[in-house]
Amino acid sequence: MSAAAPTLTEASAEAPIKPAGFVRRLIRDKPLGAAGGLIFLLFLFCGIFADVLAPYGMNEINPIDRLQAPSWAHPFGTDNLGRDMLSRCLHGAKLSVIIGLSAATIATLISVLIGIATGYLGGKFDLIVQRFVDAWMSFPELIILIVVVSVLGPGMFQIIGTLGLLLGIAGSRIIRSAVVSVRENMYVHAAQSIGATTPRILWKHILPNILPPIIVLFTTRVGAVILAESGLSFLGLGVPPPAPTWGGLLSGSGRTYMFQGPWLALAPGLCLTVVVYATNVFGDALRDLLDPRLRGSR
Amino acid sequence: MQAYIIRRLLALIPTLIFASIIVFTTVRLIPGDIIDMMLSQNDISASKMDREALMATLGLDKPMWSQYLTWIGNLFKGDMGNSLWQSTPVTERLAQRIPVTFELGVLAILIGLLIALPVGVYSAIRQDTAGDYIARSFSILLLAIPSFWLGTMVVVIPSILWGWSPEVSYIPFWEDPWGNLKQMLVPAAVLGAALSAVTMRMTRTMMLEVLRQDYIRTATAKGLPERLVVFRHALRNALIPVVTLIGLQAPLVIGGAVIIEQIFGIPGMGTLLLDAVSQRDYPVITGVFLVVGLAVMLINLLVDLSYGLLDPRVRVRS
Amino acid sequence: MKFSKVKSAIGGIALAGALSLVSGGALAQAPAEAPKYGGTLSVATIYYTISALTWDPADWNWKANHDTGQYFEQLFAADLSKSKKAGGKHAFVADAYLPLDAIRGELAESWSWKENPLRLEVKLRKGVMFPEKKGVMASRELVADDVVFSYNHLNASPKKIPSYFDHVTKVEATDKHTVLFTFKDYFAEWDYRFGWGYYSSIFPKEVVAAGAKDWKNHNGTGPFMLTDFVNGNSTTFTKNPIYWDKERIGGTEYKLPFVDKVIYRTIKDEAASYAALRTGRLDIHEGVRWSAVDELKKNAPQLKWSRHLNMVGTFLAMRVDTKPFDDVRVRRALNMAVNKQEIVKTFWGGNAELFGYPQHPDYVGYFEPLASMPESVKELFTYNPEKAKKLLAEAGHPNGFTFKVQVNANSPVHMDLLPMVAAYLEKVGVKMQIEPLEYGAFLSRMTSKTNSAGYFMDNGHTNPTTTIRKSFVTGQTWNPSQYADAALDKKVAAMYAERDEGKRQQMLKEMTREIVDKAPYIWLPTGYVYSAWWPWVKNYDGELRAGAVRPGPIYARLWIDQEQKQKMGFK
Repeated sequence: MSAAAPTLTEASAEAPIKPAGFVRRLIRDKPLGAAGGLIFLLFLFCGIFADVLAPYGMNEINPIDRLQAPSWAHPFGTDNLGRDMLSRCLHGAKLSVIIGLSAATIATLISVLIGIATGYLGGKFDLIVQRFVDAWMSFPELIILIVVVSVLGPGMFQIIGTLGLLLGIAGSRIIRSAVVSVRENMYVHAAQSIGATTPRILWKHILPNILPPIIVLFTTRVGAVILAESGLSFLGLGVPPPAPTWGGLLSGSGRTYMFQGPWLALAPGLCLTVVVYATNVFGDALRDLLDPRLRGSR
Repeated sequence: MQAYIIRRLLALIPTLIFASIIVFTTVRLIPGDIIDMMLSQNDISASKMDREALMATLGLDKPMWSQYLTWIGNLFKGDMGNSLWQSTPVTERLAQRIPVTFELGVLAILIGLLIALPVGVYSAIRQDTAGDYIARSFSILLLAIPSFWLGTMVVVIPSILWGWSPEVSYIPFWEDPWGNLKQMLVPAAVLGAALSAVTMRMTRTMMLEVLRQDYIRTATAKGLPERLVVFRHALRNALIPVVTLIGLQAPLVIGGAVIIEQIFGIPGMGTLLLDAVSQRDYPVITGVFLVVGLAVMLINLLVDLSYGLLDPRVRVRS
Repeated sequence: MKFSKVKSAIGGIALAGALSLVSGGALAQAPAEAPKYGGTLSVATIYYTISALTWDPADWNWKANHDTGQYFEQLFAADLSKSKKAGGKHAFVADAYLPLDAIRGELAESWSWKENPLRLEVKLRKGVMFPEKKGVMASRELVADDVVFSYNHLNASPKKIPSYFDHVTKVEATDKHTVLFTFKDYFAEWDYRFGWGYYSSIFPKEVVAAGAKDWKNHNGTGPFMLTDFVNGNSTTFTKNPIYWDKERIGGTEYKLPFVDKVIYRTIKDEAASYAALRTGRLDIHEGVRWSAVDELKKNAPQLKWSRHLNMVGTFLAMRVDTKPFDDVRVRRALNMAVNKQEIVKTFWGGNAELFGYPQHPDYVGYFEPLASMPESVKELFTYNPEKAKKLLAEAGHPNGFTFKVQVNANSPVHMDLLPMVAAYLEKVGVKMQIEPLEYGAFLSRMTSKTNSAGYFMDNGHTNPTTTIRKSFVTGQTWNPSQYADAALDKKVAAMYAERDEGKRQQMLKEMTREIVDKAPYIWLPTGYVYSAWWPWVKNYDGELRAGAVRPGPIYARLWIDQEQKQKMGFK
């Protein structure tokens, strides 16, 4: 067999994704998803530049101005300690960006590592690790989170680490099945038969072909992490106040003062819902466009 | 088939043991000794001697491995130890909570399916119509609202607008079915609605894929009515991943939805665990994890076996 | 001990004993609405978020009285005829305090002191019956042996609080209805320790023999019987048909209790419990937060309200054994740096008092209001950042300093209040490093005495003597500031041995002044807590406890006007 790369004739081999054409297709075919992507970008922007965008500090207590309805001075109103809600929500965006992206990154990395290793290598190794994954997934997420946060104490890094680990192991299944379907194609067999090393095969052949599910996984994880943190906040195990995570704002002063100051709940609640909604539709649209099986169907 | 089942069951055992060791030791790592908590209840300082006496009473003075072995030994006798606070058997507390959580979970999954399947199928058949978009958008919206907020709104808004709030008494189902449902239906619906979002989209995706298959086109070309095509051919095959999804939702059935339980006052496994963790009641925590883990693994096994029923190819292979 | 003092002490106590001979309550002042029997009381008590932690009295759990106190009675209880609604001056909200003039004998009919050795002879009421309990005991009369048994059983428990009964030499039954307590020396808290306190229940030996850990075996002489317990959801008590006590209302004597059932609702979520109140699923909701009151008043305007100053003190404890807090000037400076009036106005919306700890305004005779305190104490409650900075400079910290504060992450109120305090301190150059800890971890820092220099917490008063002892005597559990003053310890011991209440009050007042002045804590305002109930609940005015966390006698005396409830549209 010649040393030249085989031609890409297999249906499951992918043509490289061209960014510009992709974006055009996204807007044309999946307008909702495109909007979602836009909001996601906006969210990232706000999060990264929160310090610059926010008119007030994250924790500027000003008791005289407490519980003021939205106005020009405070577009999102003020909370029970007089803090500007718009600034708090912007800083909350920063926290969500940090927590969401970090945890999602860790999760995706773990999913990819486990998924590729078990999917490609198979055999006994796969069996053992799958049992471990099984055991891990037998426990409801929240339960593990409760115990871990109690052990490690409340804090942002603990939550990022735990959520990343949890979601990572759960998501490894998805990557694994993608790897399994890719490893059987001729491309890979060819590379193996010419003696390419495993790392090279993984890097050059497997990984590019499973990039679509990885991207989709990553985007859906961001939303899942933000929601999970909000659930933890409700149970008192989230990032502790005065950190203005959206979940913390919603489950804390949002609920306590929901009658005196509905904006205390509306502002973070809308931010949270809109961003999670946006990341989900964006992820959906990506999946629809990138998944070869659904190619040709809209 | 039999051999497969037995093999799977045997495979559970080492996993469970491994998990139990981890849980056993991890919970004891939680800072804030139970002894400290008990002693802080009284307003008179305890001398070191009293600490040790209390530890001995609770059986916490022995080294970790000894405690673990005692626990495992008792396990085979069906004894999970006693709650450190109440001194009542852990099995008793679990027995009270498991049926509650089980009922809530089953109701939630059923309600979820009742919503998700018809909507998902409809969405697939009428793909890309307005109905499809609305259905999909609404289900993602449900996903994007934190469950505690949804629950709070369901409890608070009707109480103000119509003077109605969900029932607060828990009555076991066998004592008074309707009384029981009066409390359970609302939280089950909230939980089910959230579950349905995920199930609906999965149903839609799989239906779409199946509908594109050749055999479906053949059936349609043959002139079979749409309904027949959908139900007899498409749905069956699309159900497999849906069943997987139900399996993934299984932890809820036995692990409890802590947040919903807390808002609606349902005495389930979730709150049992939450309380036990904050009280550092180690035997209860370990007991809950063990039961939950075992149950979920069994449910997953059932799910795997059901593939055999739904997909003949699986049956042939195994 | 001077004989005259002993005489006056005994006189006071004997008078109280004699007064209790009058059965039941006294004449109710309010125009007598004839009580009605029947109905179910659905109540979210002040501890509505937690179910019974344990049922066994031998577990020495603080909450037991709240749950078992409906059927396990005690030697003494509150004299509810002295409540505010009856024209008296007591609100009966203190968690473990009964003023001496408002104690009546519950199971005790009369009691008298004897000297050499110091003994208390208690004569029990006759004809008090335990109802029949299938599988546990037949119906029988309460006898002195039951009291002796209860005491000994508690005393022998491995979970007993050490030294709790050290002042007692022995307890014995001298005849069928007489119990004799022999004391080592007079101890001021004798009635709190075993009388009407946390660990004073009288229970029959049959219950212990059948297994006291199982609530199904429980049986007592009280107004209600425990009939159902759903952990995490509800506790149901049903009327005891042979209950002994009666209440005089409008000239007529009525057999107690009035309602058929009392159900404690356990609801973990505030929003859900308020919704249940709004819709009439709860008849009484104790412990309503001030921030929820306005909305409830708007949406359920017929609700009746009462409020009480919370029986806890909120403060930031400073470890007096570490720098820089070993210097009293620093501690006083930090007190002056916080604008406590503004906290009352803005954080609490006006629903708070500046000075409610360590003594509580309800402790009549023990409490000294801020206005009558010496100037140096008043200074601590006056916002004066300039003086604070000056003091800090004097103490060697002209540029302030940084210190760590541990706080309970599970308390939303604290998590909001602490940053506010931090903001004030920052204005005088003192920076706070806040370390939130989950409750269990937080608590164990204090009990193991490893808490950081700053420790932000609530602490219950319990009663006027305990509030000082438990937080300011050397080495005590609830002493996060590590306050250690040998002179104070001696004064506390002397106070406990003092038989004359007037003198004890004087000693406590002096000690309180001294402690507040030395400022081991940044003293913070105490918030008000509200209770709400529907108008069909009668003969109830927001009283919370008739003993140590024991509402039993209160619920026994209220009744439900079911007609009125139906007329108002609820069922």
